Amino acid sequence: MDWSIHVSNAAEVRSGLSALEPASFDSGSKLAPVVQLTQRLIYELFGPIAFSRCAYGNEFCEHLIPSPDQLEAVVTAARDREIGLTLLTPYVTDAGIDLLRPLFEVLSANGESEVVFNDWGVLNLLRREFSGLKPVQGRLMNKSLRDPRVTGVYAASDAPAPALVSLRRSNLDCASYTGFLSGLGVESVEVDNLPQGVDLSFAENGVKASAYVPFGFISTSRICMAAGIHYDKRDKFQPGAPCHHECQTHLLEYAYTNTPFENRDQKFYLKGNSYFYVHTEAMLRGLFEQARAGLIDRIVFQPQLPMTWERA
Amino acid sequence: MKVLAPISSYDELEMLAASGAEEFYCGVVPREWLDRYTGAVWLNRRSPKGGSLETFSELKRLVEGSHRLGIPVFLTLNAPYYTAEQMSWVMELARALDGEAGIDALIVTDINLLMQLSKAKLNAALHVSSVAATLNTEAIRFLLQFGPSRIILPRSLTIPEIERIVNATRDEVEIEVFMLNDGCAFEEGFCATTHHHTVGAFCTSLSEMDTEFERSGGRELTRRQNSRLRRNLTDYREWIWYVNGNGCGATANGLPYGPCGLCAIHDFQRIGVASLKIVGREASPFKKLASVRMVRAIVDQVRSGPDKLVVIERAKSLRGDRKHCDSGYMCYYKVEA
Repeated sequence: MDWSIHVSNAAEVRSGLSALEPASFDSGSKLAPVVQLTQRLIYELFGPIAFSRCAYGNEFCEHLIPSPDQLEAVVTAARDREIGLTLLTPYVTDAGIDLLRPLFEVLSANGESEVVFNDWGVLNLLRREFSGLKPVQGRLMNKSLRDPRVTGVYAASDAPAPALVSLRRSNLDCASYTGFLSGLGVESVEVDNLPQGVDLSFAENGVKASAYVPFGFISTSRICMAAGIHYDKRDKFQPGAPCHHECQTHLLEYAYTNTPFENRDQKFYLKGNSYFYVHTEAMLRGLFEQARAGLIDRIVFQPQLPMTWERA
Repeated sequence: MKVLAPISSYDELEMLAASGAEEFYCGVVPREWLDRYTGAVWLNRRSPKGGSLETFSELKRLVEGSHRLGIPVFLTLNAPYYTAEQMSWVMELARALDGEAGIDALIVTDINLLMQLSKAKLNAALHVSSVAATLNTEAIRFLLQFGPSRIILPRSLTIPEIERIVNATRDEVEIEVFMLNDGCAFEEGFCATTHHHTVGAFCTSLSEMDTEFERSGGRELTRRQNSRLRRNLTDYREWIWYVNGNGCGATANGLPYGPCGLCAIHDFQRIGVASLKIVGREASPFKKLASVRMVRAIVDQVRSGPDKLVVIERAKSLRGDRKHCDSGYMCYYKVEA
């Protein structure tokens, strides 16, 4: 099994990915505990690990797509460190497609790299113009429900079995779909570790699964709350509106105080245009057990919420 | 440019057709699905109760009646995904909807289902649901391999973005856009939450939660920074209220509130959009009726050719309470007048 780490810039790659030192990353006081818990469990269950790959880029916002120069620097740093590189890309409009094309040119000029697509349009572009790059289906293309508000109910022992089975799976359950992906040259898919438990049995059909820790995605939008800060009230919250990357300045924590169930300690985190949940220890242990059982090909460690962006 | 209306019962057919609906869409959730998967797993993007027809015979009657009026009926099979077990069942249902019920088009999200339906070569056309989050021209080119006749664009695209897509795909596929009623705070196809009645929509549920900001970069937020963020959060919660149909409210005359694209109809006619979707299969018959009348009134005006500003003024007058239009938070689309 591979270990990958999500980096924010070339300097992090050059620093040698010192990785599992708790103080290595600025996760913020609200998220540091889950990052440290993840580091501790990784060490406990897998010992000292080495990252053989880094992930760079963003899955959630076309305003966070890096520049070709920034990508070039990361490509060079990864090559110098002799580790693989995976470029993460978000869902995009036509304008976003225009931003991605030069990045794919940078990657193509530098040998084989992976590109995670979260949009069929991005896959179409890759297949038509950049066939040397390796497409990986991103976690946004995996439509499994992941709503931590109702986790306890879905995973309860008296929940109806067919419903729970369905909620732990996705269309990756269908051989027709995995065959379709394979025909498109997609050999790997990324997934979130679901609050209700994730069924990775599709990996037995030859599809490689890559899982993120310790943050799971809940929802994302082209309408960004943070970007509204600099607008007059009437002009706030427009889809795709230009921003000053206000998402980089702060985090918003929600406490699920209005739950009809017993999970009042449940927290959600908004960073820019996207909401995330954090893994519990039980969720992490469950995922790592599946990794040890050979169902997971790669774990991607994200020491910060995956919304970082580097000023040019 | 057609007016596409939601329908959930044969009883609504005549009044909606008489009010100006030119296409219908609906859902059906047979009892077997509910018995097996309960309300936790939805066959389409609406709760099994209230938004969909419950029996095949009821659906068949609706389709026959609609066809007598010359109006096509589209049916949603637009859950984000189906598992292998569900897929066999859904394909069987799709064949029955096509052959026995005579549905004119199936509205699909899951690309695996789209692929299977394309291979099955049914008479029903295929429409790609907004839940598929088709946000760019390249994505449409990818989907065209499955032969859809229509792509439903998500609400989150702007008019210039829609125009670019329509210009690039004009001869290959029809484009449908949202026109009235429910909004979505998130990108619908990338929202992994449920609207199950026990918890409600995630976006509205968030508005009632306790919150705390944290500054990134290791420093504390100043009081001024915190206050600015709080004000923005308050504005955002007000926007969510509009997204949620103005708190599910209505005007003094009983007309529905909520997200609206009436002012953009003039632009959509110019661009060449094929269909304007009114949301709300689960809404009351009165809300559906009032919605269809509002949209049709503006469409008729646009068809008769007046100036764009005249159309916008008429649209705003139809919405009733001007302050909601002026808030800027009730619009699907920002229209350049």
